Amino acid sequence: MLFNSFEFLYFFIVVTALYFFLPHKIRWILLLAASCFFYMFFKPEYILILAFTIVIDYYAGIFIEQQTEKRKKKKYLIMSLIANIGVLAVFKYYNFINGNITGLCNLLGFQNTIPYLHIVLPIGLSFHTFQAMSYTIEVYRGKQKAEKHFGIYSLYVMFYPQLVAGPIERPQNILPQLHKENKFSFDNALLGSNLIIIGLLKKMVVADRLAVYVNQVYHNLDTSTTLSAWMAAIFFSLQIYCDFSGYSDIARGTAKFMGYDLMLNFDRPYLSKSVTEFWTRWHISLSSWFKDYLYISLGGNRVSKLKWCRNILIVFLISGLWHGANVTFIIWGALHGVYVLMESVLPKITGQSPIIKLFGQLKVFFLVTVAWVFFRAANIDEALHMIRLMFSADFSLNLTQLAAGKGPFNLALTFLVIGFLMLAYFLPRDMQFKNIKTNITFLTATLFLLFILSKDAQGEFIYFQF
Amino acid sequence: MHKENSSISNFRKYVVNILLPVLIMVGVMAAAFCFLFEKYIILSNNNCGAYKINRIINLNDPYEIPIIGSSRAEASFIPEILGPNYFNYGLEGTQENVMLFFIDQECKKKNKRSPVIIANIDLDGINTKTGDIANYLYNSGNADVKKLLGDNYKLQYSIPFVKYVGQFENYLRYYLNNRMQLTKYSKDGAFIDKTVLPQKMIDDLIEYRRTHQDVFLHEESLKKEFFKTLNDNKDRYFVFVVPPYHSCYFTNYKNPEDAKAFLNELKTLSNVRVFDFSGIRYPDSLFINTTHLNFAGATRFTKEFKDSLATVKIANFK
Repeated sequence: MLFNSFEFLYFFIVVTALYFFLPHKIRWILLLAASCFFYMFFKPEYILILAFTIVIDYYAGIFIEQQTEKRKKKKYLIMSLIANIGVLAVFKYYNFINGNITGLCNLLGFQNTIPYLHIVLPIGLSFHTFQAMSYTIEVYRGKQKAEKHFGIYSLYVMFYPQLVAGPIERPQNILPQLHKENKFSFDNALLGSNLIIIGLLKKMVVADRLAVYVNQVYHNLDTSTTLSAWMAAIFFSLQIYCDFSGYSDIARGTAKFMGYDLMLNFDRPYLSKSVTEFWTRWHISLSSWFKDYLYISLGGNRVSKLKWCRNILIVFLISGLWHGANVTFIIWGALHGVYVLMESVLPKITGQSPIIKLFGQLKVFFLVTVAWVFFRAANIDEALHMIRLMFSADFSLNLTQLAAGKGPFNLALTFLVIGFLMLAYFLPRDMQFKNIKTNITFLTATLFLLFILSKDAQGEFIYFQF
Repeated sequence: MHKENSSISNFRKYVVNILLPVLIMVGVMAAAFCFLFEKYIILSNNNCGAYKINRIINLNDPYEIPIIGSSRAEASFIPEILGPNYFNYGLEGTQENVMLFFIDQECKKKNKRSPVIIANIDLDGINTKTGDIANYLYNSGNADVKKLLGDNYKLQYSIPFVKYVGQFENYLRYYLNNRMQLTKYSKDGAFIDKTVLPQKMIDDLIEYRRTHQDVFLHEESLKKEFFKTLNDNKDRYFVFVVPPYHSCYFTNYKNPEDAKAFLNELKTLSNVRVFDFSGIRYPDSLFINTTHLNFAGATRFTKEFKDSLATVKIANFK
């Protein structure tokens, strides 16, 4: 079920109404049933994969807590990690690894006889396995008590607002909230409404509109020019931000309506003045996951400079691989790793002047935009073709090419929605308005914009595929 | 007890202070916007699918001769060449299920002076394709429209204003094309590309046809319904036309004999006349792709068709 669908609107109204109608004791049953329904709306049979990891991690958590010896605790943790990573490996990486083996075999003159799996990637797999892993790791580290209530633990993994595209929550944040009784709160409902509406605007008005141009250019690189390639690259930077942060906003808003606080996942990342800062503002729940569970485990920055560089590169390469089983994602991750390393080596331009600030922001936007080309391209050839186009000097001003064959009307609408996105930067950071009148004006104006400017495509969220 | 009261008072506060004011204001703005949009954009623009659906349902012009069919009808027939009473109801992205809907609506009109209905036939068989939902929203409350949409009909299509969410751009695009006529010819329902394609693009399209097979294939139940409709309306005279295809369309065409058999089957009906222009070869410059003519091509074809139509000798038609 997509957040940007009428089905979700009906679902949300019914589930939220029932939630407040039912006594606290049985609300978890409602939320769990709703989450199962939500997930099974995509592909019902894949709920079994979720059930498998839930059962394993639930018992792993209890067994880890029961053990007094660290060695035994570690044994259960490793079992849990193998189960989670194993599911990821089979469903997400098996065919990719097999494809590389085939390539290697061909190179050496052998034939690879290992069969390929004809499976569809379960939606949101990387998100919920990472959330499940964070639970067992935290229990192992003694920072979280094992959850004894199987239903509540299942809900921790499956809570529908963040099930398929995050934020990847930590048990310390979400488990206590799932036990707590929530009552309907005016403030929560208002903030929830604001977040849902701004999220829908980002997705349905901005991201889906930008996608028209971006897709058209990527599908017709032969007829694109330097200008249209740059426009597509920049539009994609904005599209993916609006698509993903829009999803996160809706997820947070939906949860907030019922009184649950999900973590902030995007904090105006394109205003960052360095790539390092960018990664503290972009997909925060994932970058902090990698920081807490991988980077620090590797030694973080309390090691020699050389090992630190290695740690940074490992984290970004795995982060790339987390996004998808494709060389393009690995290159995207590697590029970000190199950016961060370069920033630590090159002299910093410091100062509070607006020009220096702007220079930093433009630099980050440029670097990130170039890296997004690899993220968006279907394969490495397409990415390189796009990069060549961007850095060639074909500045022909043919309107058909400039509009990517979608007409000047579409291009005009694209710039219009980018204008709205710029305006959105003037909204309060926490989406809490000073007075109710301003809030009502915001909701009315945004709903009306949604009404007249949404795209009809009901496009899937980009991050669903991860 | 205290908690429950607090929840209820908070809920009441949210509904009264936020939800209702916002919904009322958005509702009023949306209603005003839709009223103006329907009046000045959708219904004042005769190349728009929604206008055509509304026209076939609600306009009862006894002299009108409708031209119905797919985008090949829309892009092949220029009503102003044929005469003052012709209107092109061709709808992009549709097939014979929609054609039957148009025939049904047309045949319901009992005061017609002219019995003739012109329809295009595509050489891919009798099939179901309903096309863009935007075409149907203005009349989404109509029972026949609901029946036509079948499983594609969604709950929100019955909610005023909300039904248009995501569709305004479609109507506006047609409207602008109609008003500006920069790249399209748009009059009396005809909506035809004026562009002359560069030879390179034509060559690419020809190459595509070489590597893709086209086939004439029916949905049997729809074919039965199609013939039943023709037989049930003997007081009407159906002129079926196959407008020209680019010659490359037949390079890899699987079963021309089946297409011919179907046209022959149509010819056996007493109230049907068939004009097959598929064998006529037009130069590349008259096509916008391998199945659709451009404006120059449509002009030439419509003139030739007009000559053929003159051979139809029935009462109340000249």
